Amino acid sequence: MRIRGSPLSSWRGAQIYNVLSICKEFSEKNLTIRKEIASSLVLILFGVVFLLYDLKYPLDQWANPGPGVFPLMVGALLVILAAWQLTQDVRKPKPEEAKESHERTGSSIREFLQRNKGEVKPILMMGVFIVYLLMVKWVGFFISNFLFAIISSKLIGARDWGGPIALSAGVSLFCYFLFEVWLKLSFPRGVLF
Amino acid sequence: MAGHGIISSLLITIQPVNFFACFVGAVIGTLVGVLPGLGPAAAMALVIPLTLKLGPTAGLIMLAGIYYGSMYGGSTTSILVNVPGEPASVVTTLDGYAMARKGRAGAALAIAAIGSFIAGTFSVIALQFFAPLLARSALAFGPAEYFVLTVLGVILLSNLTGKSRVKSLIMMMTGLMLSAVGIDPIGGLERFSFGFESAQGGVSFIALTTGLFGVAEVLSIMAERKGPVELLPVKFRELYPNREEMKRSAAPIARGSVLGFLIGLLPGPAATVAAFASYGLERRVSKHRDEFGKGAIEGVAGPESANNAAAGGAMIPLLSLGLPFTPSTAVLLGGMLLHGITPGPLLLRDRPDVFWGVVGSFYLGNMMLLILNLPLVGIFAKIVRVAPKYLMPIVLVLCVIGAYGDNGNLFDVWVMLGAGIAGYVMRKYNYEPAPLVVGLVLGPVMERSLRQTLIISRGNISGLWDSPLCLIMWSIVLLACILPFMMRYLRSRVEARSKKSRV
Repeated sequence: MRIRGSPLSSWRGAQIYNVLSICKEFSEKNLTIRKEIASSLVLILFGVVFLLYDLKYPLDQWANPGPGVFPLMVGALLVILAAWQLTQDVRKPKPEEAKESHERTGSSIREFLQRNKGEVKPILMMGVFIVYLLMVKWVGFFISNFLFAIISSKLIGARDWGGPIALSAGVSLFCYFLFEVWLKLSFPRGVLF
Repeated sequence: MAGHGIISSLLITIQPVNFFACFVGAVIGTLVGVLPGLGPAAAMALVIPLTLKLGPTAGLIMLAGIYYGSMYGGSTTSILVNVPGEPASVVTTLDGYAMARKGRAGAALAIAAIGSFIAGTFSVIALQFFAPLLARSALAFGPAEYFVLTVLGVILLSNLTGKSRVKSLIMMMTGLMLSAVGIDPIGGLERFSFGFESAQGGVSFIALTTGLFGVAEVLSIMAERKGPVELLPVKFRELYPNREEMKRSAAPIARGSVLGFLIGLLPGPAATVAAFASYGLERRVSKHRDEFGKGAIEGVAGPESANNAAAGGAMIPLLSLGLPFTPSTAVLLGGMLLHGITPGPLLLRDRPDVFWGVVGSFYLGNMMLLILNLPLVGIFAKIVRVAPKYLMPIVLVLCVIGAYGDNGNLFDVWVMLGAGIAGYVMRKYNYEPAPLVVGLVLGPVMERSLRQTLIISRGNISGLWDSPLCLIMWSIVLLACILPFMMRYLRSRVEARSKKSRV
């Protein structure tokens, strides 16, 4: 809008700035909407893959519906609903959210990291979780559990080492006696224990 | 019949194992209610493997104890710290915390506990009358009726949960799709297991719930980074509400009990909806309307009674029809199935011990909770100050053990992690995990009843609405579909008219 409104002045710098700010504003406004659109697209993709996979199973006739019928119905409904959500996302820009993202958006990498600072810890945690699950088979359940509890406690914000270690030892022992000794659940064992 | 029921149910509950289970469940439930970050659904899912050792009656009594215990605990932190322990206590923060700041924290806590007790007991009495009645009439239900009921559940639940109806429905469909994983309920064909041996039995219910409600919550809390909470002190002396406060609370408690119970029968996050509805009602009828939000005791008494009554009401469709319409009752159903018990119209006939045991535990549990909560409220409130850095690792480890212990394989733990990450991302986009869990549980019932109906009617689709009962239920489904749109249309008309008149 501002492009049309601004007269062609001799000061090109101002104009470039103007254009840039419009682009930025536009992209910021669309940041959350874009994410919403992406989430709907992911859902549609999920539904389509599910339906394609479902085609493997027989549908049979109405009088005796096969195992493929119910998944076909719910899968198709999911795709329709997600497509509806997609049209809503495309049609409805959300001004308040765009404003909020306006405050938070920056262009440099540092600002990007600053903006998504909250995401770092959960992502690290997911990584730790995956390493832990891979470790269980080799090191054994209780030892990896012990290490996992310490590391997750540190990740969540423990400053010292003593607290997390004591906590983890306590939890591990408690779990050992409750689940393994009393409830007779057998957990995977590793090289050490 | 009902009198006999009360006696037999209490006799079952006071057996030592069951009594112990009820007590442990009530304490865990209160703790879960107090602690933000771990809701009743996740806690129940975590405890299911533990209950398998206790046998079905005691196991289910413990799970039920967690369920209603959390309703009590939730109010404590709402009042003292302004942090609701679970969604059903969000409204209580409005007037409860305001009362606490005026120095009436003790009275607010006591009224919340007393209201919860009265409403809880009221809803059990009603449950005791209605559940067998409904179960008896449900014996006449054929597969077509069950199919409509599940459809009704899906529609009503999506109307009531979350911010967006479409998103709730999407989650519901995802749950129904996941329910198709494993052996097909009629033909026995293996579906969507991708060659994984562990997926043959279907998606592990415990792994999915602990992931969606436990791991996802821990990840969200890590992203939030909240500061330490400030706790308002409670003196023991202040615990007694004065006469005026008692008098002002009586009617809201009574209204909240009835309203909550009725809302509990509907599909959806009944306890939360009931609390909000009761708050709205009290504000409308109160003589002290201007006090609301500034510490009106009615704003604590009504909603806290309503959410407990709703928790009891929600047990009726579960016990008599076998259909859970809330995430917590869905987990309870999951627990029952793992214990080899199928809730539904036949439960009362086949396993009266389980049925009456659970009902009786409601009476006993309510009493225990009242006794536990009044003097110990200060101690429970202090637990909220346990730092997340100590609490969250415990939650994670328990989630892992819960998911692993269900079937004893690591595959389920991977499923749990996947569900946790998915749940974390879903929350960011306002997709609620609750409808997904309900969909997962309703899925097999829905599929089986649909296919059976078609087999019975020889492929004639009109078999789905042939009986008068089905027709009535379909018209309710239709109404539930149209009503929100009509309301929106009417509202916009009214707004447009008022704008015009202003101009």
